Amino acid sequence: MSSPLGTLAELRSALDAGTTSSQDLVAQALERADSHQNALNCFVGLRADAAREEALAADARRKRGEVRSLLDGVPIAIKDNMVQAGEPTTCGSRILAGFVSPYTSTAVQRLVDAGAVVIGRTNMDEFAMGSSTEHSAIGPCHNPWDPTRTAGGSSGGSATAVAAGIVPVALGSDTGGSIRQPASLCGVTGIKPTYGRVSRWGLVAFASSLDQIGVLARTAGDCASVLEIISGHDLRDSTSIPEPAPVYGDALGRSLEDVVIGLPRECFVEDGADAAVLAMVRAAVEELKRAGAKTREISLPHTPYGIATYYLIADAEASSNLARYDGVRYGRRAQGTFGLAGMYERTRSEGFGDEVKRRIVLGTYVLSAGYYDAYYRKAQQVRTLLRGDFEQAFAGCDVIATPTAPEVAFRLGEKTADPLSMYLSDVYTVSANLVGIPGLSVPCGFHAGMPVGLQLLGPAMGEAAPLRVATAYQRLTSHHEERAPEIV
Amino acid sequence: MPRITRAEVHRVAKLARLSLSDAEADRMTTDLDHILEYAETLQELDTEGIEPTAHAIPLETPMRLDRAVPGIDPALAIGNAPEAVDTAFVVPKVIEGEEEG
Amino acid sequence: MSGSPLSRYEMVIGLEVHAQLRTESKLFSPAPALFGDEPNHNVEPVCLALPGVLPVLNRRAVECAILAGLATHCTVHTRSIFARKHYFYPDLPKGYQISQFEHPIATGGWLDIQLDVDGEAVTKRIGLTRIHMEEDAGKLIHDDAVAGSDATLVDLNRAGVPLVEIVSEPDIRSPAEAGAYLRMLRSILRYIDVSDADMEKGNFRCDANVSLRPIGREEFGTRTELKNLNSFRFVEAAILAEARRQAEILADGGEIQQATMAYDSATDRTRVLRLKEDAHDYRYFPDPDLIPLEIDAGEIEALRKGLPELADEKCNRFQSQYGLSENDAHQLSENRVLGEFFEAAVEKHGTARTVANWMLRDVLKALGELELELDDAKLTPEAFAELLELVDSGKTTAKSAQGLVSELVRNGGSPAALVSERGLEAVSDAGVLTTAVDEVLAEHPENVEKYRAGEAKVLNFLMGQVMRRTQGKADPNAVRDLLAERLKE
Repeated sequence: MSSPLGTLAELRSALDAGTTSSQDLVAQALERADSHQNALNCFVGLRADAAREEALAADARRKRGEVRSLLDGVPIAIKDNMVQAGEPTTCGSRILAGFVSPYTSTAVQRLVDAGAVVIGRTNMDEFAMGSSTEHSAIGPCHNPWDPTRTAGGSSGGSATAVAAGIVPVALGSDTGGSIRQPASLCGVTGIKPTYGRVSRWGLVAFASSLDQIGVLARTAGDCASVLEIISGHDLRDSTSIPEPAPVYGDALGRSLEDVVIGLPRECFVEDGADAAVLAMVRAAVEELKRAGAKTREISLPHTPYGIATYYLIADAEASSNLARYDGVRYGRRAQGTFGLAGMYERTRSEGFGDEVKRRIVLGTYVLSAGYYDAYYRKAQQVRTLLRGDFEQAFAGCDVIATPTAPEVAFRLGEKTADPLSMYLSDVYTVSANLVGIPGLSVPCGFHAGMPVGLQLLGPAMGEAAPLRVATAYQRLTSHHEERAPEIV
Repeated sequence: MPRITRAEVHRVAKLARLSLSDAEADRMTTDLDHILEYAETLQELDTEGIEPTAHAIPLETPMRLDRAVPGIDPALAIGNAPEAVDTAFVVPKVIEGEEEG
Repeated sequence: MSGSPLSRYEMVIGLEVHAQLRTESKLFSPAPALFGDEPNHNVEPVCLALPGVLPVLNRRAVECAILAGLATHCTVHTRSIFARKHYFYPDLPKGYQISQFEHPIATGGWLDIQLDVDGEAVTKRIGLTRIHMEEDAGKLIHDDAVAGSDATLVDLNRAGVPLVEIVSEPDIRSPAEAGAYLRMLRSILRYIDVSDADMEKGNFRCDANVSLRPIGREEFGTRTELKNLNSFRFVEAAILAEARRQAEILADGGEIQQATMAYDSATDRTRVLRLKEDAHDYRYFPDPDLIPLEIDAGEIEALRKGLPELADEKCNRFQSQYGLSENDAHQLSENRVLGEFFEAAVEKHGTARTVANWMLRDVLKALGELELELDDAKLTPEAFAELLELVDSGKTTAKSAQGLVSELVRNGGSPAALVSERGLEAVSDAGVLTTAVDEVLAEHPENVEKYRAGEAKVLNFLMGQVMRRTQGKADPNAVRDLLAERLKE
């Protein structure tokens, strides 16, 4: 039974000191992934042989003194919606069964170029549609703190793989909270950068104007290190921000003396979230004040409309993005003999799960003749109002603090019968996607033995602010060092 | 009054090339009705004259130079095809003009 | 036709033309914009709509669309938006086509067509509603021999190739006007070099909206849409066939149903593909993978300045500068290459009328017979001018020179060398000509009598006989002089 892996910073030091090797780390990660699979179900697939070979090459580089980056030789995991040439990608869906990508996503390519060793692809809600990683073709992912509870979603597999100490770092994607909410529920740190910061080339689209790749790790510092590697302009993504990758360096170590934290009145109302969760988030803010930060109450008056706005936009875009899964060029085609129309309907009806179908139907409905203005256009207008809220708010503060999720991890199956209640899990996270700003979640304590997350939002292009506050918080506290119990 | 009927769910599902059993359609009608009811809260907001936001981060239109790169290996192009003949994808017989755009 | 129901109605026609833009790569993907190859040999992940791919716009395609807008007097918009148009079909890999809907790149233009009304050339202006950019679909192969009787093959080489859709106002009133409109549009697109606009090759495709209204009535009737008209001949025949069908229905007191129609050239009839109630709900919305297309007004002006002289301007100039008839000027200016060839040859030769006559008669005939375009011909304007000079100077005869045009068009070469190689120098040797003239006069005494009795035109007949006897090589001026001399005796 292998022990949990340390943080990225710890592993790098050990590799540089020669006290471990990439081959040892990769072997340890693979063994741990394997031994936890039955209990946690956090991997969709492992690339054991390829990972071992890459580790061998990384060790050879290190011996030659040609270490490519902080990540060189370090085992990592990627969410099963980022393609890598020669590897399967399923997005947690039956409809992509057997699909092997002929090309590599930009984010994964940058990791590979940096020497990182991808050990496998993590479990997720089908096409990233969900907040619990229960809507997956391979079954639900389990929370390492309590396997009867969800890991959150949709990047539940990535959050679990980090929380269980299988990998120090995993990539996730966040369309409405899909990095931050599982990070919160699993007790890890996760960041969704500014929309356009990380290329979406090779990220299987759910909702194009909201999707963003980000990082889950044990510390904000590790998140920042990996973000530096995967960020930056990409000519293959028209929505990529034409600026070089940020370098955070010492900026993250600065004190909080000049930092103003905005506390949105709408996010601290008692009926919105579990009282215990709110109390812990308030306590975290007090901690930050003791470290020198100032706070001020702000208002984001349109955030109560965030969920409705989000689901209309996300599902409309999803219904369009998922039209390509037709069984013609790749993926699973329904077996049997029927005409063209029959092939389309059976392939899609058999290939997609219930939640995906529900979203496709809703999205198709809101785009269809006669409803476009009332739903889709209206939602895009509310999005403009939300942008105004945040612009105004950031004129008076540097970061905004809220809970990440309204409650701790819920039980598996608890919300699957009521889609709307599941959607409300994202109440604090969706706004950042709608307005494109960065957000991260840091562990800020435990309630009933389950982790609670503090969400820190920054202005567009301003990942440095929440990363700096989170780094300071993690210097002051040890919640992020808590380990889930060994369950195997 | 329901916001969406089962018939509408069937019609929209067909547009999206999904076939639903009656039980699935019933459940979906109920779910969508709840979601649309929730979405109606947006009607409380006056958005008269408000420009819709399609992209939160303003960018200039990126364009690429007109340079062709060779296609990928045709074997890879059809490598994932459920059915192929030589380097072409195969679908059930299409009646010409059937549902073209 | 006065007895047919159609004579009581006026046709109202609007055309939608899809023209493929001349680019190296596709509209949103760097794959080559070539589709003659084996299936799926010019595709990359974007054309295949693989999971995770994203579109990036081709700058040259945008320039081509702007040029098309400017050349047709449209307003080119500094902001336009790409939208997704959804439908499921195996040639459409994403399940949507990226097109422009609410905000196209250009709107509100026109072009002028030339019509022959009772033998008189009349100009008519046809309005353009809009020009928008979109990507082409792939190709389906229905051939049973290749695909089998229960299967269709899908080739995505063409998927993503850039198109402009050019939509006319319903200003067209007859199949002939439709033909003239299409020819003028083709000429313009070729002039500005944005499209090959070749209907036979499928890079210039036409749909026609057709309705009828009783002559004298203002409001339009219910229209139908004719799809996929793939040759100039078919466009005109199909519109006429559809108009006939509608007229018969109306004459019987029936109503036209909105429908999409196909034309069957074998039966010369149109048939319903689908009715309006089966119309698609395309669910257009702005493509979230693309940023709205913002074009600098200065860039549009720079493109406008770079526009070449277009056919109608050139036609006017040819009339004023070279004294050509409207008809000749029109023919020589309709095609940019023809016009440029003409001017280059005139510069060398000097006499525009002669160059025009020879081009319109002999060069066009040779091109037609060889099924060549002037671009592909080996004849240069310099060689052509040289050939005409050989005629002017009497070194060869017009007849011999005419015989060489086809050869020069096909293989090129030096006219002077060809003339000497083939022994086509004009015969002006007095001995040879005198013998031929004397023989002809001896064979046709009755004509000699007629001439001497005052019938001067007989001279032409006698000249023709001499030319024939010398296989057309006699220098006609020398023959004329000699005949006149002998007949005086």
